[in-house]
Amino acid sequence: MIKQTFKVPDLTCSNCALKLEALEDTLRGVKQINASYHKLEMTVEYDETQLSAQAIIAAVKHSGYTATLV
Amino acid sequence: MKTKKTPIDPVVIVAIGVVLIALALISLAFQSEAPLAGSVSLASQLTLAFVTGLTTGGLSCLAVQGGLLASSLAQQIEQDYAANLTKGKNVKKRAPARVNSAFPILLFLTSKIIAYTVFGALLGWLGSYFTFSPALRAVLMIAIGVFMLGNGLRMFNVHPIFRYFSIEPPKFITRYIRQTAKGVETFTPLFLGALTVFIPCGVTQAMLATALGTGSPMFGAALMFAFTLGTSPVFFIVAYLTTELGAKLEKTFMRFVAAVVLILGFVTLNSGLALIGSPLAFQNLTRNLFPSRSALTSAPTQVPQTAGIVTLSVLNRGYFPQTLKAPANQALALQLITNETYSCARDFVIPALNFYQLLPATGTVEVNLPPQKAGTKIPFTCSMGMYTGVIVFE
Repeated sequence: MIKQTFKVPDLTCSNCALKLEALEDTLRGVKQINASYHKLEMTVEYDETQLSAQAIIAAVKHSGYTATLV
Repeated sequence: MKTKKTPIDPVVIVAIGVVLIALALISLAFQSEAPLAGSVSLASQLTLAFVTGLTTGGLSCLAVQGGLLASSLAQQIEQDYAANLTKGKNVKKRAPARVNSAFPILLFLTSKIIAYTVFGALLGWLGSYFTFSPALRAVLMIAIGVFMLGNGLRMFNVHPIFRYFSIEPPKFITRYIRQTAKGVETFTPLFLGALTVFIPCGVTQAMLATALGTGSPMFGAALMFAFTLGTSPVFFIVAYLTTELGAKLEKTFMRFVAAVVLILGFVTLNSGLALIGSPLAFQNLTRNLFPSRSALTSAPTQVPQTAGIVTLSVLNRGYFPQTLKAPANQALALQLITNETYSCARDFVIPALNFYQLLPATGTVEVNLPPQKAGTKIPFTCSMGMYTGVIVFE
């Protein structure tokens, strides 16, 4: 398990952050996602054998936002 | 798995609202003029509560609680707007922004109805044990006003610090909602709808006082349910039409919403300041800056005063005279005269004297004023901070 932080500069409200956290339910290998509109970032705890940072960035993009690894 | 949200057709909601208005008007037509706290039947009291909500209550509450509704809608609008922009990146011709405003409005109103029904039951149970003092309400209104101003400035991207005005619910709550409810966007309208219970408007307070007097949890709950249900169509129609109108503006939509939140924030903050008699409240500020203008408007309505007694007319549209002149250095009786007054002006507050009373719709209430030095100004206000005035001792 690793924990990585991503910057998501185009979050516009708290609901957008909640939308990113909902990726917990769809992304295989994710243990926990904490997204913060206040900090414009998300922290993802995931199993690196099942998921990559690039796949997370792609999933975020699919949700309508842009993520970059810190 | 992405689930497609199917919002309730707004047309259906508006139709329900129109039907409710029609029902209320029919009830009104068959309704004899009955005093609220009189010995009328349960059914007619509930009908009267509903009609009061539909007429004066809806607009009056919208003035106070509209900001909370706007704040909850703002979150949904921002999200829908962002989603529309994302979709638009890959298509040549972008469809106009469609905002699912009906759903959060419904959530907000449902939560509000539930909160007030529970509160009505509590009041009925507690009797006269539990009341919100004007000072506490003022603090809440100021806090909510600041919250809304912060949110408006956040939406205008004035400074990153204002992002902290956006509510981020605790993670355990969002997880629970996500697992049990249809969407995460349900939290804000539900939370803010329930919060309206802490900032009741003047008419609502009158109704809460009635619920308090019932001494029955069931009756108290039914009364508040009927009243809050009555206020809902006005809330819905105004909020829905406002957001739909906003959607037509598209490019300036977010700025439009932010401006509405800012304006309502100023109004709420100002009401809170007026309620504590602050000289910074807009009405008090203009009265102090332009005393001659204030004196002119109040002079023709000044009632001839008897020795030791000053009289203030409490009307549906406010207090007359707004600047009440009183002799200094002597104890006085302030007579408050109401005559079929049903607006929030009835809920009379003198912050400096810590005086607060819900006046009878028609009648005279006397307040003892201790001697004051010449030049002293004592502001008075309704409990919503909408109608204000000042007693000037000279």
